[in-house]
Amino acid sequence: MSGKLLLNGSDYLMLGFDHELRRLGYAGNSCQIILELGSSFPRARLEKRILEVCSRWPIVRARPGGMFRPQWKPGRNGGPTPSVRVHRDQEGLDQQLINESLASDRGELLRFDLIEREGGGACRLMFSWAHALMDAPSAEYILALLGREDLQMPAEPRPATNAPAAASRSKFSARVKLAWKTLYRIEKMGVKGPRSLGTRHSDAPRALGYRIERFSAEESKKVRDNAVRLCGLLGAAQFHAAASIVELDRLHKRLNKPSPSYVLPVPVGLRLKGAVEPIFSNQVTMLMTQFLTEDSATVERVATLLKGEMQEAMRTDMLESGRVLSDLFRFLPRSPYMAVLKKGLGGEICSLFYGDTAAVNPNLTTFLGAPILDFAHVAAITPSPGIGVIFYYFQGALRVTVLHLLPILSPDEAAEFGLGLRKRLLEPGIV
Amino acid sequence: MADAQQIEAELLGFVRREVFAPTVELTPETDLVAAGFDSMSLVRVLLFIETTYGMWIPEKEITAETLRNLRSLAAAVCRLLHER
Repeated sequence: MSGKLLLNGSDYLMLGFDHELRRLGYAGNSCQIILELGSSFPRARLEKRILEVCSRWPIVRARPGGMFRPQWKPGRNGGPTPSVRVHRDQEGLDQQLINESLASDRGELLRFDLIEREGGGACRLMFSWAHALMDAPSAEYILALLGREDLQMPAEPRPATNAPAAASRSKFSARVKLAWKTLYRIEKMGVKGPRSLGTRHSDAPRALGYRIERFSAEESKKVRDNAVRLCGLLGAAQFHAAASIVELDRLHKRLNKPSPSYVLPVPVGLRLKGAVEPIFSNQVTMLMTQFLTEDSATVERVATLLKGEMQEAMRTDMLESGRVLSDLFRFLPRSPYMAVLKKGLGGEICSLFYGDTAAVNPNLTTFLGAPILDFAHVAAITPSPGIGVIFYYFQGALRVTVLHLLPILSPDEAAEFGLGLRKRLLEPGIV
Repeated sequence: MADAQQIEAELLGFVRREVFAPTVELTPETDLVAAGFDSMSLVRVLLFIETTYGMWIPEKEITAETLRNLRSLAAAVCRLLHER
């Protein structure tokens, strides 16, 4: 494939975050999936599978480019083949690796780190990818294809681009009008605008850190039951988000950093259910939701508000509005786009990064013959707010990754947040 | 007033068009949640029901039994329409 592939608005936003993070001294907007494996495998076997994926989808070695229409440029030879690096396990290695930049401007969009334990046997695999290339469900899908030689590569070698929705085919003026609804919504949030934890150390970047809260099968069932009780049958994500906001409010108050409100960008998946394509794409739009401090004391209250906001957003076409807005931004050259993005982040438009990828891809049970014993998602977050959470279920058990930027939030403070969130998910009524 | 069969056909057409990928084989008996139906899918379907039949399904009616498949959902919509 030598043709160019357009980035959609969501991809372009991820690329914008990447530039902003690098400008501030962080590693960029990359994500990791970390697999704990019950046995090891020869590195050459993984390299062979990577070559198969590269030859089928040259986009995995493409460079981002395009002045007025951002696009992937796979080129004739593309960038370097994704590397597999082998390490000896040692304390702090994971954090060191997640803070190493991908050379995405030179076509390094994927990377693999194999971490071997003393004496062989079990090992750990860290798969890193540039978020501008794809979202978490796609990354899980690609990882499953790499690790399962019994799975057939899809027949269609050319990745599809983001299918335009009805609004994208409508007149430009109609699209601007629709996009304006999101801008107006954000402007209204400014009346009692949030003050994020990131304002504490805006000029002192250091590193991304994370911790994972693991729930047993029994605890996961309890969390699911609580979600059904408070948010209805399919309300797990709303329950997770509500518990996160209440715990964030508690943390703000404990750190003596009160905020008039909390803004949570809720990611909404745009892929049709049952579809994996388009694979190399971020198929997500963000719905900006706001909770005043006085409404953030109980999970039940936040969950009720969130549910109402989601229904209203669907009713008033706010989801499509957000998607169209990010699509229109693609036509801004990078400099003015980055200026808009920085202004937004400086204006405290987000109090907490939040992701909920639900159940992990069911094909991720073994990787090149090794049983997958544990699974973790890690993702970059921006300095404002400098804190984020990702929820996912691995083999039916809930995992929550708490992400924090040092020194905005110390490991102890992140642990305090994680443990508080854990308690709140298990006992949502606690004060 | 629409009967359960007609509602079922309309719901099936909507979810085929707006919720699920064309590759998903969908019948009135398909287990919705197992096929990937989530909270946003539910809101879309509830809004479709509201627009088409002028009725919002109360939360207490959204049970595992109602959402088992499109047949049970259509039966619930039909019952609620007759109870109005």
